[in-house]
Amino acid sequence: MSIFEYNGSALVAMVGKNCFAIASDRRLGVQLQTIATDFQRISKIHEKLYIGLAGLATDAQTLYQRLVFRHKLYQLREERDMKPETFANLVSAILYEKRFGPYFCQPVIAGLGDNDEPFICTMDSIGAKELAKDFVVGGTASESLYGACESMYKPDMEAEELFETISQALLASVDRDCLSGWGGHVFVVTPTEVIERTLKGRMD
Amino acid sequence: MTKAAIHVPPKGGFSFDLCRRNEMLAQNGLKPPCSFKKTGTTIVGLIFQDGVILGADTRATEGPIVADKNCEKIHYMAPNIYCCGAGTAADTEAVTDMVSSQLQLHRYHTGRESRVVTALSLLKSHLFNYQGHVSAALVLGGVDVTGPHLHTIYPHGSTDTLPFATMGSGSLAAMAVFESKYKEGLTRDEGIQLVSEAICSGIFNDLGSGSNVDVCVITKGHKEYLRNHQQPNPRTYVSSKGYSFVKGHTEVLTTKITPLKEKVEVIEGGDAMEE
Amino acid sequence: MDLHLDAPHSMGTTIIGVTYNGGVVLGADSRTSTGVYVANRASDKITELTDNVYLCRSGSAADSQIVSDYVRYFLHQHIIQLGQPATVKVAANLVRLLSYNNKNMLQAGLIVGGWDKYEGGKIYSVPLGGTILEQPFTLGGSGSSYLYGFFDQAWREGMSKDEAEELVVKAVSLAIARDGASGGVVRTVTINSEGVSRKFHSGDSLPLWHEELEPQNSLLDTLMPEDSQ
Repeated sequence: MSIFEYNGSALVAMVGKNCFAIASDRRLGVQLQTIATDFQRISKIHEKLYIGLAGLATDAQTLYQRLVFRHKLYQLREERDMKPETFANLVSAILYEKRFGPYFCQPVIAGLGDNDEPFICTMDSIGAKELAKDFVVGGTASESLYGACESMYKPDMEAEELFETISQALLASVDRDCLSGWGGHVFVVTPTEVIERTLKGRMD
Repeated sequence: MTKAAIHVPPKGGFSFDLCRRNEMLAQNGLKPPCSFKKTGTTIVGLIFQDGVILGADTRATEGPIVADKNCEKIHYMAPNIYCCGAGTAADTEAVTDMVSSQLQLHRYHTGRESRVVTALSLLKSHLFNYQGHVSAALVLGGVDVTGPHLHTIYPHGSTDTLPFATMGSGSLAAMAVFESKYKEGLTRDEGIQLVSEAICSGIFNDLGSGSNVDVCVITKGHKEYLRNHQQPNPRTYVSSKGYSFVKGHTEVLTTKITPLKEKVEVIEGGDAMEE
Repeated sequence: MDLHLDAPHSMGTTIIGVTYNGGVVLGADSRTSTGVYVANRASDKITELTDNVYLCRSGSAADSQIVSDYVRYFLHQHIIQLGQPATVKVAANLVRLLSYNNKNMLQAGLIVGGWDKYEGGKIYSVPLGGTILEQPFTLGGSGSSYLYGFFDQAWREGMSKDEAEELVVKAVSLAIARDGASGGVVRTVTINSEGVSRKFHSGDSLPLWHEELEPQNSLLDTLMPEDSQ
């Protein structure tokens, strides 16, 4: 069994028209045993920048703390928030530093940049960036998520439709993955507001 | 405060502090990932009449999964030097970025155009230091004051100088094309055509390579990056309607809407106060 | 089929150094392979260290390149300090020093050859562990095992330059014929009091040995001999 499958996770981010959505499942397990059903995998860096960390939960939390710390240092020095591109480079650098003893995490980053241009990106556990214009996925359910998103995604969706699409893609995918599920957690971020919803899903 | 408690930005270099823990996890039967993102790749380069042409496919893989259908494998090194990367994606990206910044600093220092051999030496010494553990296989091409140059660099730090070169998992397929059709003194158009043909042979005959053809033409004092020069594998099965979901279709447990505050920009010393 | 494409680059090689009356001849094939794939069929395994000293490389390509780069760098410093050309002995001892001190890390068999005004043409062999051997002729690489008997028979003291060059080309071509890890073309470097001359012998100009066929441009020439067309 791979270390990435120890806790189980599903992560997905999608781009809409001047907005983005990022969603995760809510299960935390130790192999096949479910430990928590309200686990937070997506965390806020600032109002318009979110990061989801799939993989080993202990590393996800450690990495998140380091990222928040580095972002706060940046804010103090620069007196502004980080651009999503900059943040992605920071995450990549932190991961690549541990090239020969990595954090077992696959990050999914989503944010609104200058002029509210949506930005999404994912990486492997040693910081190889993958920028996408449509959607990115991560976690144990990533194979099913690739399939679901590949068929369900449409360009230029409005916030409400984007929410429905990402939620359906997530729920459909986690139903085919033993290690993730127990509902979902979705953030839809537009230039004016953040809509945070929890989803009902199968409880098996 | 102890040193471990603060994570100040490091000066550089790799950190090995998770190695022991990861080894312990591996001993407990939790396998470390053996498939980092790779660019199971076809990359090529050739020297033509008045410069160098580099080519690459655009598929990135993670084990058997296509992780990226249109990634960029021709990396910038200097305005007159580019570099194709195959192997572990993070390594090719990091090693080319590192060397390109060293070259930029060197240019600031000397005020001269970078040379291809400088890039070559920097790349090979880094890769040799890590004895093949930084798995980047590169095709380096560029035109400098001493003319056009093409080199290949292997993960262990050995280098070759060649008139035409291929690398990556599709290198055999691409080399077959070069070996049968390459000749000295190709024109620009013939060169681009041959490079595209070699990449296509990788795309269609090697499972690790796929999607589109990227080409980069470098001549004296000029370069042209032809991103997606050919797209032999377009998506053919997109439904015109797509899936549409009725609003409120998904069962929602809780909703929290946070309005975002309008950011007000304060301009310091913008308008001087009038009396 | 496993092609071992990620195996380290190695030069299963034939390299030769021969002294003659007045200088030395170095010879090498041109094949570099990764596993069973020929990564470079026209490589140059005879690298320049200084104007009057050259080095034949075998073993891991990366290791032997690094060693030669360092030795070249040290020798150039040495020449500036000395104000005159380096001797072959100094060059060979630098090669030995690096090979011996890093013997656990390196996989390189090297032959240093050159000419200097004190000792004339000299050949030094520096095999795997970092020993140094001054010899009238020396063989290296995987192809060398096919050649020892031949050299015992064919090498003579006090050959002329042309005789020595001919011997080297003949020997490398014999090794190319029998050793799968050697191939391509034959390169020679001749060093004497007059300077250095490089020679290139293309694959189709080499002599044909037992059961070898004439070179063909196309498979069609083999399948359809001229009389049947």
